[in-house]
Parts: sequence; C-alpha cells; structure tokens
Amino acid sequence: MAYTNYQHWKTTPLGDTIVPHLSVIIPAYNEAERIVPSIGAIASYICDLGFDWELIIADDGSKDNTVALVEELGLANARVLRAAKNGGKGSAVKRGMLAARGRYRLFADADNSTPIEEVSKLLAKVDGSQAPRYDIAIGSRAAEGAQESNKSLLRRIFSGGLRMMVKYVLGINVRDTQCGFKLYTAEAAQRLHHAQTMMGFSFDLEVLYLAAKYGYTIAEVPVSWIDAPGSKVNPTKEAKRFIKDMAAIKRNDWRGAYAS
Amino acid sequence: MTVIEEFHPDYLTLHLDGRFDAHETPQVRQSLATHTPKNVHINLEKVTFLDSAALATLVQAMKNCRERGGDVVLCNMPQPVRIIFELTRLDKAFKIINTVHDATQH
Ligand SMILES: Nc1nc2c(ncn2[C@@H]2O[C@H](COP(=O)(O)OP(=O)(O)OP(=O)(O)O)[C@@H](O)[C@H]2O)c(=O)[nH]1
Ligand SMILES: [Mg+2]
Repeated sequence: MAYTNYQHWKTTPLGDTIVPHLSVIIPAYNEAERIVPSIGAIASYICDLGFDWELIIADDGSKDNTVALVEELGLANARVLRAAKNGGKGSAVKRGMLAARGRYRLFADADNSTPIEEVSKLLAKVDGSQAPRYDIAIGSRAAEGAQESNKSLLRRIFSGGLRMMVKYVLGINVRDTQCGFKLYTAEAAQRLHHAQTMMGFSFDLEVLYLAAKYGYTIAEVPVSWIDAPGSKVNPTKEAKRFIKDMAAIKRNDWRGAYAS
Repeated sequence: MTVIEEFHPDYLTLHLDGRFDAHETPQVRQSLATHTPKNVHINLEKVTFLDSAALATLVQAMKNCRERGGDVVLCNMPQPVRIIFELTRLDKAFKIINTVHDATQH
C-alpha cells in the first residue's frame, strides 16, 4: 500500500486544480552529492502520510550538476527552480516559498539534518489537529526535548553573544533561530517571504522578526538534528554578516520598510 | 547506529540499526576491514536513512567482496532505503533480497 502511494506521487502530476496540502522546499547550493538520498527519505515519508504534496528544489546557482541530477529523477511532483547565480540561502528559500502552492510550506536543508519524520510534529502545530493552532512551527535544537548530534557551525556561532543580541537587540523570543526546518501556513509564507529582504543566512532572523511584528504565532518544536559533514559555511564571515544584518533589520524597520 | 556482526560459515551478516550516515561509516568500514569477508549480507531492516557517504561505503564493500570472488547482498530494505537505492540507481548494482513491501523485485 505504502509503496504504491510513492509510485503514484512519482508518476502522476497533481495538476493545477489541486491545492497540495504540503510543499516541501529544499534550498540547494552545490548539493549534487547530498541531495538525492534526502529526496528519497522525504518522498518515502511524506507519501506515506497520504495527502497531496509537492517538492520544490530551489537551486541557488549551483556550479555542480545539482539541477540536472534532480531533473533526471523524473519525479512528477517535483520542480526545480533554477537560479542563474548564487544568491544565498535566503534567496533560495524565498523563491521556493513564493513559488509553492501548498496549504502548508516547509523548508528543509538538503542534508536531512533534521530527519523528515519530524515534520509531523510541526504539522500538528499548524493544521488545527492540536490546540492551540499556530501560524508557524519551527524546528528547534534548543527547546526542551531536542536531540542534537554534532553541533553545526552556525549553531556554534549562535551559542554565545550573538544569541543574546538576537534576543535583546531584535527582541526575537526564539531559542534556536537558525534551524533549517521551518513550517509556515501559506498565508504566513506569502506575507513573510514577500517582505523578506535578506538573502544570506540571516534571512531566518529577519523572517522571525517580521513574524512577531505582523502578529503571527510561532511554536518552537524540539527536533532531532544530526549535522552532516559538507557544510559550505565560513563561520567568521557569517558571524560578521549576522551582526551587520541585525543592525540592518532594525534600520529597515525604523525606516518603515516592513510596514504592512 | 548500531552494528551487530553475525558470523556464518560462508558469510558475515551485519545488522544495522538507525541512521547510516557519514558519522557511522567508519564502524562499518572497520568491521569489514577486520574480517575481510568474501560474502557479506547487510540487513537494512532497521535503517531509517542512508546518506551518500553510507552509499559509497556499501559500493566500496561490494567492490572489495567481488575482488575476493564473493558479493555483498542487501537484505530487508525498508521503504525509504529502497527508494533511496532506486533514485540513485544503485538498486541495479547490488544484489537485493527480501525487499520489504515488494513482490515484483527480481
Ligand atoms: N552554504 C550555503 N548553503 C546554501 C546556499 N544557498 C542555499 N543553500 C542551502 O542551505 C542549506 C544549508 O546549508 P549548509 O551548508 O548545510 O549550512 P548549515 O547547515 O546552515 O551550516 P552547517 O551547520 O555548517 O552545516 C543547504 O540545503 C544548502 O544547499 C548558499 O549560498 N550557501
Ligand atoms: Mg548543514
């Protein structure tokens, strides 16, 4: 039974009239080596959940053969959004979120660092099956009950002063802002990613800042996280960028750039 | 991931349990390097995910066994593992038996 779900999803396009229950967006920059097993795990798990869904690979100007590799898989309900040049993770997530058609929209890192099975916990927070109902559910490696193996680089950058700044400068009341596993309702995704101006890794901060500003409710959900080797992040460069971008977020807001 | 070794007269079985990724490949590689078996059965029944490093380890094991005149046999693939093998086309390269959820497999 289960495998037939996958086969059906793999071969039969949903068509334009059906609104997918879920869109899964994978931002991908030079992921030829890591992405196919992740797609397999995602497809297997989500197909078993039994609802209509679409997969979006938001390429970010990959210089390897990520795009061709994914297109050759021939998955009827997967789309590749190709970018001519590298714009940063934020740009890829933004394009993916705005192109998505799903009622709920998840972005997940290409390395399956947060196992896809965790999406069910996030879905329960936004789909009304559990009260209270939230607009956004974000994976968290800091919340009670989270399991983390092999701390990721960005997490380590964020463990010190930077996290205090996020809290006291931006007023973001979220313990783990950077987890690459976040789920939004269609409405929140449209509004937030439309307003998003940051294209690097700090887009997460900006989007969470905007979420609070626009009055969306956020559930922080403990998830497990197994960091995969193969990160392309330069920590010193990114730490500086985060500080600059936090200032930019405040400045944008004062100037009214985020006015609804 | 846990690896349990089970010795048979003419093959070694490795029972894997958990997420088989780059952090776990050394223990599988080490087990195979220690016993240098001609034939290996790898029981994937409890494997939840394999990444590209795990796949590369299995391919290398297959090459080594074939050089010794034996082979790697993959057993009891759960659905996610099976789909990962199909998408990477490695299902064509390996001998696979008792695939779960399947009647049509060769
Ligand atoms: N590094 C990087 N990743 C990008 C970019 N654009 C999209 N991505 C994707 O963003 C996701 C996160 O990338 P990783 O390199 O794993 O970064 P990370 O997990 O936040 O950092 P680590 O903890 O160091 O692994 C992956 O799916 C990338 O393919 C980019 O310009 N640079
Ligand atoms: Mg990563």
